[in-house]
Order: sequence, then C-alpha cells, then structure tokens
Amino acid sequence: MSRRARASGARWTTDAGIGVLLEESHALPLVDVDLILRAGALHDPVGKEGLARLAARMLRMGTRKLTSDAVDEAIDAMGASVSIDVGHGTTRIHASVIRRSLPALFDLLGSLLRAPALRASDLGLLQRETVSDLLSQRDNDRWLAGRAFRGHLFGDHPYGRPAVGSAATVVASTRKDVEAYLETHLVAPGLTIGVSGAVTESDLKALIDRAFGALRTGQPQPMAVAAPRVQRGRRVLVIDKPDRTQTQVFVGTLGTRFRDPVFYPLVVANTVFGGTFTSRLVREVRGERGWSYAASSRLGVDRQREAWALYTHPSNEHVADCIALELGLIDAFVEQGITAEELAAARSFLVKSHAFDRDTASKRLEPRLEGEIHGLPEAFYSRYVEHVGGVTVEQARDAVRSRLSARDLSIVLVASAAEVAGPLAKLPGVAQVEVVPFDAV
Amino acid sequence: MLLGRPRMNHADLEARLNANVARTNARVRFVEEVPFGDSLRIQRWTMGNGLGVLLLRDPSAPVFSYQTWFRVGSSHETPGKTGQAHLLEHLMFNATRNHPHGEFDRLLEAAGGETNAATWVDWTCYYENLPASELGLAVHLESDRMAHLKLERQKVVSEKEVVVSERRDRVDDDVEGRVSETLYATAFGRTHPYGWPTIGWMTDIEGFTPADCREFYRTHYAPPGASVVLVGDVDPEHALSLLQEHYGPLRGPARPEAPAVPRSRQRAERRKIVRWPTPTPKLAVGWHAPPYGDFDHAVLTLIDQLLVGGRSSRLYLDLVREREIASEVRMSLAPFQHGGLVDLWISAREGHPVARSLAVVEKHLARLRRELVSEDELDKVKNRLELGFIGALETAQGKADQIGFCETVASDPRHTFVRLEEYRRVTPEDVRRVARAVFVDARRTLVEVVPTTRGRA
Repeated sequence: MSRRARASGARWTTDAGIGVLLEESHALPLVDVDLILRAGALHDPVGKEGLARLAARMLRMGTRKLTSDAVDEAIDAMGASVSIDVGHGTTRIHASVIRRSLPALFDLLGSLLRAPALRASDLGLLQRETVSDLLSQRDNDRWLAGRAFRGHLFGDHPYGRPAVGSAATVVASTRKDVEAYLETHLVAPGLTIGVSGAVTESDLKALIDRAFGALRTGQPQPMAVAAPRVQRGRRVLVIDKPDRTQTQVFVGTLGTRFRDPVFYPLVVANTVFGGTFTSRLVREVRGERGWSYAASSRLGVDRQREAWALYTHPSNEHVADCIALELGLIDAFVEQGITAEELAAARSFLVKSHAFDRDTASKRLEPRLEGEIHGLPEAFYSRYVEHVGGVTVEQARDAVRSRLSARDLSIVLVASAAEVAGPLAKLPGVAQVEVVPFDAV
Repeated sequence: MLLGRPRMNHADLEARLNANVARTNARVRFVEEVPFGDSLRIQRWTMGNGLGVLLLRDPSAPVFSYQTWFRVGSSHETPGKTGQAHLLEHLMFNATRNHPHGEFDRLLEAAGGETNAATWVDWTCYYENLPASELGLAVHLESDRMAHLKLERQKVVSEKEVVVSERRDRVDDDVEGRVSETLYATAFGRTHPYGWPTIGWMTDIEGFTPADCREFYRTHYAPPGASVVLVGDVDPEHALSLLQEHYGPLRGPARPEAPAVPRSRQRAERRKIVRWPTPTPKLAVGWHAPPYGDFDHAVLTLIDQLLVGGRSSRLYLDLVREREIASEVRMSLAPFQHGGLVDLWISAREGHPVARSLAVVEKHLARLRRELVSEDELDKVKNRLELGFIGALETAQGKADQIGFCETVASDPRHTFVRLEEYRRVTPEDVRRVARAVFVDARRTLVEVVPTTRGRA
C-alpha cells in the first residue's frame, strides 16, 4: 500500500490497485461515497448504445445470495440512498449514508461489485424500464431539446450518442454483452473511490480493504476518443411537438477540453457572456426584453472538446427575434471579446464565490476526484484562484476567437413547427431548416 | 457532532448594543436562545420596529446565508389579483431609491454572492449567500429594498413578460404543472386561497398595474411582517449592530391580519380530465392533509415514505417493479400552514390504463387503514427520513432554509428538530389512524391525463 499526503485530504492506493481519496469532516453524521469506474458510454458498441448504463444498473440488481428486492430493502433500511450515473467516460455509483450504517453500506457495495448476479430476468426488467422511461421523457421539452442538440452538434461522434441509448439499442444488448462489458472494465485498477464526511482514514482503510480487497485485478481499457469536428454553417433543427406555447432553444458550437491551454480564459469569458444573472445574455434576453424566464450559456468540458451552448425558452411570437438577438450577441462576443470592466467583474465573482465550492466536504472532494479521473495536474484545480484571477482581456478575447465559432452553430428547437418555422430560414447565415417530429428523437 | 462556542451573556450584549441608540425602532431586545441540534444555538432578537431576527453562528465554513422571510404569500391575495406576491418577488430585484436597476445583482456578484428568492402560499423568502467578509453588503441591500423599492412602469411591464414566460414553462407547456394546478383548483375551488396557483392565473398576471404592485408592497413589506435569518461564520454582536444601523430607520404599517383560510368542505369525490400531447396516460389523486405544524403531518410524511419512498416502498415495488404497469409513482405532501393536499402522481406505462394502477393503489390504502405496519418497516422509513434531515443541514443555506421556514409556518425556528423527534415517536397505530382519517374517497380529487397523441417507443 502506498500513500502520499495532500494538503486538502488523504489519498492512497490499495493493494488491489484502487485509488482512494478522502475528505474528512465530522460536522454531521453523514458520509458520501463515490465509486467511479473509468468506463462509460464511449465503450458502447455501435448498435448497442446504452450497454454501459445497463451494465452499471445490473450491478445494483443483486448477488447470487441477494435478490434485487433484497438489495433495495437493505439500502432503504440502513438510511442510505444509491444512484448510478453513466457518462461518456465514467460510471459513477454515488451513495449517501447515515454514519452508523457506513460499514453495512460498504459490505453491500463490495458484494455487489465482487459478485453481481447478472440474472437475465433482471436485465429484461431494466430494458423494459429504460424503454418506458425514454417514452415518458418525451413529456419533458427541455430534455428533448438537449438530447437533439447534442446529436445535431456532434453528429456521428460518440459525444452525440446519449448514454441511455434508444429503445432499439437498449433491447439489443444481451446478458452476455453485459457480462463481457463488466469482465473487461470492472477491475480494481480502473476504480477510484471518493469518500467525504464523518469517517477517519484508518476506519475507511479497513472498510475498503474488507469490501473491495478481493475485487478482480486486471488492466483497465484505455479511453481513446477522437476529437469531434465542427460541422460547417448555421444549421437549424426543429423538433415538432403540438400545442406548445413557447419554444425550447439551444444554440451552440464546440467549446473546450480539460487540457486546453485557454480553458480558464474561456471560463471567465463565458461567465461574462451567460454565466451569471448580470451577464450579457441574461441582461438582453430577460432583463431588457422579458422574453425568457431562463437564459444561460454553459461551457462543457471533457477529454475532447465539449459543447458551448446557450439555452432560452421564448414564447412562440418571440422565437425568431430571440434567436436573432442571440446570434448578434455571439457575433459581437467572437469579434470583440469582453471589456476590461466585464473581466474585472467576472474575475471578482469567480474568485470570491470559490468559497462556496469548498463549504462542504463533498464539494471539496469533487475537483480532486475529477483531477484523478482525468489525470489532471494537481494545480489545475488547487490553483483555481490564480488561474481565474490571472486572466487578461487579451487572453479572454483570443480564447473566444480561437475556440468559439460564430459561423458554425447548431440551433435546435422544440416547438410547434407550424407556428415558428417560417421566419427561421431568414435568420442571418442560416442555410437550412430541418423539421422532425418529436417522437422520432 | 455540530460545532459551537460558549454561550454569551445576552443582557450585557443587549445593553452594549443599545447604549448609544436613541431611535426606538433601532433598539434590539434579546428574546431567547434555543438549541439547534447538539451544540449550535439560535438567538432570537427583535428590533423596536418589529423586525424579527434569528442568528445562528456556524463557523464550519467562511460563508454565511442571509435570508429575509416575509409572512406573505399567494394565500394573502384575492381572486382577480392572483400571482401578485410572486410578481412582486421578481420586481424586488429592480431599482431602489438608492441603487439603479441592475446594481443589486452587480454588487452581489462582485462580492462573490449568490441571490434568489421563492414564493409559496404562506411566505416569500429572499436570500443571499456570501463570503463571511461581506455581511455589511447583504444587510445594506436587503434593508434598502425592504423600504425603498421603485416600481417603475417599464420594469413592471417587462417583469410581467418574464413571469408569463415562467408560467408557460412551469404550467402551460408542462403536464405535471398543469395537473397540479387543476388538482388544487378542483379540490379547494378557484376562490379558496389554496385553490389558485402561486404563480397566478395568466389573465391576472397580464392585468397587474404598477399601482397594484405598489399597494401590495406598501401593505406587506415592512419590518413587522418579516424575519431576518442569518446563519454562518459571523459575529452576532457585529451582525446586530449592522441590523440596527440599516433597519433602525425603517418603520412600516402594522402587519395586516392573516387571511382567513377556511377548511375544505369537500364531501364528495371530484374528477377532472386534462387532454395533453403525451405518450402515456397519467393520474393525480389528492386528499386533504393536516396543517404542517400538526403531529399528524409528521405521520403522513411517514406514510408517504412507506408508499413511495425508495425502491423498496410498497407502491414502487408493486406498480413499477412487479406488475410493470407504471413508469413512475410519487407522492407530495404540502407543507402549508393551514393544510394542503397529499397528492399521488402515477405515470402509466404504454398500454396500461391508469384505472389499473388506481385499483392497486386503493388496495394498498385499504391495507394501511386495516393493518398495522410492522416496526421494521416503520424503522426503515424513519432511517430514510433521518438521512434527508441530516443532508438538509450540510450548508449555511440549508440551515437557514430550515430555520426560516419553520419560524414562518410553525412559529418555531427549531421545528425541524421537533419534527425529527415526532418521526421517532410515530407508532403503527398512528399510521393506521391517520390513514383512516386522510385516505377517504369522499375527500379525494382525481385528475386524469388523456393523451391526445401517441409517441413511438
């Protein structure tokens, strides 16, 4: 077992090769546990999208000695909650638990990961549940718009494929697929455990060694993903849904990645553009015109370039004007960057509000976990204040110009097409408007 | 274990704070100190102008949450003027006599702060979360907008547009929002204070004038109708002296009488149909529930958990896992001062009518009315509730939320701990008694969603 101390908390590697990060706090009798596997939807075979998510959810469906109902009963009875989130490059099992039940939680999680039952009947149940959930999500216009936006922006790139898959691909996975997936990816050196809350380092070591000491070893699969390519032009996709009184709108292009040298200048610039209540987008769309209750821009980040996306939901009568306004704001942002006054305000906000990124143990742990999973240098997050505080007007302007394209934009709407589609073709730079029914997404 | 520090001599502190204060409105009076968990303590003070103050020093992080709870919500409105409390909440972020439009947010963001607000039937709450060094800014800005808000015509017009957009997002284009609104209007009636939506009917929102807003502001926004809740790494003496300086000059009309909220007289089942472009049928069922402050509200919270809390709950297991006739089942218990609804939401799976799900629900409710729940099952849901209780207290804002809500709705800032004790006291007999009292068919309302289009899987 090796151990190196970090100023912010303990980190060690177990004999089995599991990386462990601890952020200790005894303020409340509560512990959060994250089991993070370096595998996710990027590993889904084409035609079997959703396999990684199914495999992760199968881990919760019991062992040879425990049925899935018994697992659920045990989790609820100990005063715990367990959730599973599968992204492109990671699978995260998150648990919160009352301190007194922590040993029982670790024993349960250990048995589930060491010897999952992988019953065919449970897989069928999860597949039917997933298909049903996908159907239900069509009630959620923002979800529909977000899913369609990523497909439109990234095209055939893996980032455009939803981790949940589609009804057709979810039912294509077999028990053997799930077994093979876990055989390949569920190995101790591919696992990182993050724990925050009321547990000491020595207690945690004993709990982890008992629960995960016998987890299979092996080599984790390398995570290779190609850089996505910008699709040219301003392209509009309308997801047609009847009886909408307003329109969900995403406008965006490719943004940044973790190892991008201009990552922090982009963070500051995005804060100015649409990251706070006083940002340009919120001021113009909501403050001045009252067109949309929500207005924001988000800068995603991953191993390769993720999306930079604006979100608004104007009423049908204002859709074309609102998108035209957003396009104008993007043009000005890319051509002129930000002002010194805007920069000072954004830097001040980001630096001072950093206190709220660190006011609980779980928040302090999160950047350490992200750095560990993505192999980032420790200074990437630990020197956040210096990174953000040191950005200049020129750096922000150059970062925006070099990364964000005002010419190449995906514009995706969920709307009643007959009411809004006409004026969209006249938006500046728009070459095509495609309309698809909402139940085809 | 929560952190704390030794108790202080409040009489000495009160004397020091009032030593050079001539204005009666600015004088502070210590009322009581009450425990908040094992080692934190809430100090209750009042100012001469009627402002209530609740202080909790919590040094666990160098931040604080500053909240202002006004005892006015949508139940204080009148038919034809619904949504007024919520519209005013939006307008409170605009210009004052001392700060032009936009400066409130600019100053807070420059200080690293986050601010927002919320309105519900019994209250309106404003909050700022800031680094510990910025207390003076929060006190200044909140006291300023309590007394000096400018309600200009142009801003009232544009903010009404924002609220219209919010209503379309939350209600007019959202099946759950539409059903919830229909359920409450049907169960209570459209002229009952709990029967109209907090966001207001669309025609009422569109009809508000600046004069309406000024009248509501003058009537309800004054120190006697408000409590300031401050939680975080702050020194109480410094905080109280700032409150004296900034709120001391304020005074306002006496708090208006609380509205009469009559008990529901529903004696027969009520039904409504909502037609909606959704792929599957849905059903909402609401029963009248006790007021938040009642012990039976705690019992009903446990019943909610027994039925739908977690994957081992009775209805989730039966409807979603075993029969596979529903994709989702949830319950919601309104935490209203005078008793709202406990409502059940079922989203059916494709090809399965909601009537089948309802029949299963009725079977489980009959079992609750007939049989005593086992101690093991009761312990399980108590553990789940304890987890949620602890999780809600992680941050300064989480603690302030609990204190402000409990003070406003239950007249006891530590009621969240009282509630935890109530959960622990609940017996199987309590569960059966409350199930028999609440789940009565003649006092239920059903809203069924009938799909107008079908989606392909």
